[in-house]
Amino acid sequence: MKKTSDVLVIGAGVYGTSVAYSFAKRGCSVTLIDASKPGKATAASAGGLWAIGESVGLGCGVIFHNADEVSSTEPEPVPRLFMHLLKASNKMFAELAPELLLQTGMDIEAEVGTGLLYLLYNGRQRRHAQSILDWLGRDQALAEEWDRQRVLAHDPHITDDVLGAVHFPGDNQVNPLFLNEALKRAAINLGARFAGDTHVTDLLMADGKITGVATTQGVFCSGLVINAAGAWAAKLANMIDQDIPLVPVRGQIIGTETLQDKLKSNISTVDCYILQKAHGEVLIGSTTEMVGFDTGVNYEMLTDLARGAIRAIPALERVNIKRTWSGLRPGTPDELPVLGQSPEIANFHYATGGFRTGIVSAPLCGELVVANALGEKPRMSINPFLPRRFNGLPKLKHVKTPRSAIQPDAAPPQSV
Amino acid sequence: MPGGQIHRAPRSPNAPGPDPDGERIRRDLVANRNLIDVRTNTSVWGVFDRKRVCVSDGDASTILTAKQIILAPGAQEYVPPFPGWTLPGVMTAGGAQALLKMTGVAPGRRIVLAGSGPLLLAVAAQMAKLGHQVVSVFQAASRRSWMMLPLRAWQAPQKTLEGMKYFGTLKRTGVKMRYGRMVVSAHGDQRLTGISHAPVDASWRPDLSRTETINADALCISYGLMPRTDLFQIFGCKMRFCEMRGGWHPERDDQLRTSRRDVFAVGDGAGVSGASAAILEGKLAGNAAAHALGACSDACLEGVSRRLGRALRRVHTFGAAINQISYPRAGLLDLVTDDTIVCRCEELMWKEVRTGIEQGGTDFRTLKSATRLGMGPCQAKFCWPSASRQIARLTERAMKEVGPISVRNPIRPISLGALAKKAAVSG
Ligand SMILES: Cc1cc2nc3c(=O)[nH]c(=O)nc-3n(C[C@H](O)[C@H](O)[C@H](O)COP(=O)(O)OP(=O)(O)OC[C@H]3O[C@@H](n4cnc5c(N)ncnc54)[C@H](O)[C@@H]3O)c2cc1C
Repeated sequence: MKKTSDVLVIGAGVYGTSVAYSFAKRGCSVTLIDASKPGKATAASAGGLWAIGESVGLGCGVIFHNADEVSSTEPEPVPRLFMHLLKASNKMFAELAPELLLQTGMDIEAEVGTGLLYLLYNGRQRRHAQSILDWLGRDQALAEEWDRQRVLAHDPHITDDVLGAVHFPGDNQVNPLFLNEALKRAAINLGARFAGDTHVTDLLMADGKITGVATTQGVFCSGLVINAAGAWAAKLANMIDQDIPLVPVRGQIIGTETLQDKLKSNISTVDCYILQKAHGEVLIGSTTEMVGFDTGVNYEMLTDLARGAIRAIPALERVNIKRTWSGLRPGTPDELPVLGQSPEIANFHYATGGFRTGIVSAPLCGELVVANALGEKPRMSINPFLPRRFNGLPKLKHVKTPRSAIQPDAAPPQSV
Repeated sequence: MPGGQIHRAPRSPNAPGPDPDGERIRRDLVANRNLIDVRTNTSVWGVFDRKRVCVSDGDASTILTAKQIILAPGAQEYVPPFPGWTLPGVMTAGGAQALLKMTGVAPGRRIVLAGSGPLLLAVAAQMAKLGHQVVSVFQAASRRSWMMLPLRAWQAPQKTLEGMKYFGTLKRTGVKMRYGRMVVSAHGDQRLTGISHAPVDASWRPDLSRTETINADALCISYGLMPRTDLFQIFGCKMRFCEMRGGWHPERDDQLRTSRRDVFAVGDGAGVSGASAAILEGKLAGNAAAHALGACSDACLEGVSRRLGRALRRVHTFGAAINQISYPRAGLLDLVTDDTIVCRCEELMWKEVRTGIEQGGTDFRTLKSATRLGMGPCQAKFCWPSASRQIARLTERAMKEVGPISVRNPIRPISLGALAKKAAVSG
């Protein structure tokens, strides 16, 4: 049996569902295909919406481990383009949450006012943070330095061993699993078809164009195919001899039992990040490793995360761990998403590369991909994210380097 | 305490009496202390890299490694949800038996047992013998299928005799046996006050138009056991599904080796077949592991395998005959109503999970993300067995296509503090 639709979206992580929903909203017939592999990033994610914290490298502590070692005078070249993308996408949650509630009855638990606190343990970290604050223009809507008293008064769970913190007031959180599911259900409500537990085994070509995909549940035909296969996107592209320098970047997480006590903010430190979800679990993340498609966890690394968490919130010491897991982030060498038309095959488009900020960037990236495919005027230029930028660029080799591949002030973003 | 479920040590003077076999096993272990490092009150909380075994006695952990590993994790009860099953006063028959064995206490004053299989008989007989009031025992399987058992089980006269003894006790003490009927719901406000039961057909579909209701303050449920699969899965052993063996269990060869050369599986955890089989399997796997380490000759292993293999086949045949009668049939899945709780930890009702399945949540990861099914403390061990059967039914797929849960560390609770401490490494 052949199944035909206007658009085929491969992968139902947060990117694929965001794209499918945007297409469905415009009245296109969409089929969303997903195999839900172990390591699916959206299912593993913490759900932080840390637009500013992540842009300046203070969100995911373990990566920037070396906030300690960075010279205190020179701020890192922070990618403004990246920040503008995240900021604009983060803003969209205020409308998206009630919209999805209306469409599906699902509450995606988008919190307001939680904010992110980057804890400062020593003078070097503070100097580093201050250079970042300067770079942000001391704009208190984005970030603000808090002294020790203010930190401890705000949340007494935090260790009194801090000098202070940087507070990012707009960096909240969401339930990434419910976001994913609500986007999917909203698309289905608007007529999209979902083929779950279905594995794409081949991409079908004729005359230099994609005609459909072969799957474990038969052939699906379409005039437009979107590759939203997350960390597996390069594998999918390889099926038609396309190459993109996208690799899986593993992140491990610890999830605790449900706690009655509530943390006031999301917290990040040089060791880890800590955030408490609406259901009461505390998530402690994360590592950043290039280990291929291995979705295991590592004892020593989990131990480090546990230590980092107890250092920040001493009361966590007695809390039980419910589960540990890992997910595979779709990582690109310049840490930017890969969106839009493939340079060689006109009806094959990408929607991937969310890397460590795929949750916060999903609403806008979904819109950009759809606008690009349908020839609409986008909210923001898609050009910097098009896959053609990779011509000649090597793969991501290791992940602790600063984001130097991006020119700090390249491609001024259009206002949203 | 070594001895497992069968040879559990009594904890109270009111308990029904010492268990000589259990005492002997524990004495043997103590006597061989120089050869056997027995660690009580210690659990394996995690396995890393499929070989580093993390154990904890409540404080810091130790990491062990070994050349040959024998896993004997046992089984847990299959508890299919039905309306009212989460009321206080409803428990598993195994739980009630453990309570009785350790403390002598009965779960209520008007006790009903329901489900399928021999455990119901054993527990009912034990209770009745101690003078507790067992109102009725409901067996979903027909009386006819039970009557056929001695024919099929002629190879295990001992076991058949044991069964007859239970039937005798129940008859003497006036316990009503009801065959071909299932408890379809439990009632009560704060706690259990009554139950409803109805006749079922061959696949256990209840005929709710013929429901009857009786008063009860304790309901003990048993629909058989299912292997605890977490250790096998986390060691990466290949799993298979067979309803008659309690569901998911590891693949094994004749010597009880799993898909891994260095990991053996024995007892109910390897596929439910009862206590006698477990003892024989333990011996066989012990010899095979010793052989792999060069501590037992080819000839020795061959002899042992032949002898134990024969005995094992006999008890397995008996186990199969029992399981054939009592394994859970599809009709059990009909008991849930839209507002029946199907995931106890997350208090999810069937309608929420059904919607999740209907919206494409037909695999563990997707359904879990969509609904939080299995995200609580039990990590899906109790809800997935019935949820996955519902998926299989709704999507008309085989259980092996739906798959088992994904198991992640820790498999027993461990605190962040204990993980953060530096572990000792031994072995
Ligand atoms: C531990 C961890 C924590 C994170 N925390 C955050 C955070 O706090 N905030 C944030 O913004 N981001 C976070 N991220 C990043 C974010 O989760 C990812 O960027 C994002 O989820 C990527 O979404 P995706 O849809 O591209 O990929 P995925 O969610 O991985 O989805 C891809 C889907 O495609 C399917 N697929 C692949 N190949 C095939 C095929 N051949 N056939 C069918 N289906 C296929 C996969 O099975 C999968 O379901 C985190 C990531 C990890 C791992």
